[in-house]
Amino acid sequence: MNETPTTQIWVGRMVFIGLAMIIIFGQLLPLDTRPSVWAPPNWLLAITLTWVVRRPDYAPVFVVAGIFLLTDLLFQRPPGLWTALVVILTEILRARTASMRDLPLLLEWGTVAMGIVAITLTYRAVVMVVMLPQQPFALTLIEMVMTIVFFPVVVLIAQFVFGVGRPALGQTDSRGHRL
Amino acid sequence: MANDRNTEDYLGPIRRLLVGLLVLSLLGIFLVWRIDSPRVERFRLAVIDRVVPSFDWAMAPVTGIANLVSDFQSYQQLAAQNGDLRRELQQMKAWKEAALQLEQENAKLLGLNKVRLDPQLTYVTGVVMTDSGSPFRQSVLLNVGARDGIIDGWPTIDGIGLVGRISGVGNKTSRVILLTDTSSRIPITIQPSGQRAVLGGDNTLNPPVEFLENADLVRPGDRVVTSGDGGVFPADLLVGQVALGNDRRLRVRLSADYERLEFLRVLRSRAHENILDPGSLLAPDSLPQPEIAEASPDE
Repeated sequence: MNETPTTQIWVGRMVFIGLAMIIIFGQLLPLDTRPSVWAPPNWLLAITLTWVVRRPDYAPVFVVAGIFLLTDLLFQRPPGLWTALVVILTEILRARTASMRDLPLLLEWGTVAMGIVAITLTYRAVVMVVMLPQQPFALTLIEMVMTIVFFPVVVLIAQFVFGVGRPALGQTDSRGHRL
Repeated sequence: MANDRNTEDYLGPIRRLLVGLLVLSLLGIFLVWRIDSPRVERFRLAVIDRVVPSFDWAMAPVTGIANLVSDFQSYQQLAAQNGDLRRELQQMKAWKEAALQLEQENAKLLGLNKVRLDPQLTYVTGVVMTDSGSPFRQSVLLNVGARDGIIDGWPTIDGIGLVGRISGVGNKTSRVILLTDTSSRIPITIQPSGQRAVLGGDNTLNPPVEFLENADLVRPGDRVVTSGDGGVFPADLLVGQVALGNDRRLRVRLSADYERLEFLRVLRSRAHENILDPGSLLAPDSLPQPEIAEASPDE
């Protein structure tokens, strides 16, 4: 198959939005209302970065911004700040997808890990500067490390379950644009 | 390749501009929220009010299945639990007898002394729809809101102990900030010493006691109730028991069952009446009324 039809791109976008909704829904379920001593990985950030690195056309910037703004509002975070940082990170990664296409997974992982560390630290710094109550540092650290550790798992799942892999060299969409 | 370059040449700058605007507007939202948070919080609640009830149809079965699984796990300890409960019940029967006698005695003494007690609080019961969704905030969303007469700041209990307070009311939903949240501060009294303190949540299951005047008078096992200081909460709601944490700080073991919050009662608490009148005893502006003089002729 040499072409990616436009409908396939739209299906890919719908799959991305659907996955994000399932993750949000799962996090909102009131299964355990005790405060936990550890934090699960930030799945939403992991899948967003995977999609942006692998198939940026499936995760357009406005969709990413919309989803993260919704979670900012739902999860009682300061609205807008985390979204802005995620959008900046995804834009940087998006600009580099062409050059990252033939990187080994390890280097790709390293790049994404640096990005995650950067936005987490920036978030904490901004929260400190505007004098908001800070999140517990240990929990933030655990969440950050878990997200980085689970990134390759998400990449593999995306590749083999949802078929979100790197486009082959020279693969074009139905209008003949290069991917 | 040439074709590719051309499309990028005029699409690139526009896209970059749009993304820049997007990031700026997001940061703008954040700044507006920081400066004027009530307005944005109201918007947040409107969004939650719209989004979360639409999840409701899916939440009920999923939560139900999860509960079923955890109930199934607890079947294994059923026999041991049964024995424990039987033994506890025996003790409780003795206590119940004692409590009934004390209650009668108490009622009699109160009647003899003509003590006026606070009227019992009435309540609205709501069902927990969602939790905060992130490990950093401890709050739950109830399915009762402004249309049920819920007002910001009312206390919430789970039948036994205090759970938190209402913070944010939408039309159909309201948010309860749990005592374990880092932004929760509740004035408390520790019985029997009567010491006043503040219970400050720190994202752990057992929140620490802060601003305690004399820690020597407090021992682990003492009862903790709300004090009603500051006029935010009604007094004498059970919070929990004092316990000594691993870090040698006094903490409170909460009476409410935080493992699974399902039905919560929102107490209709009335605002405290403030006495603003300075009293006319020291500086009377007028002579005593003749009726008052007649009413107490023997004084």
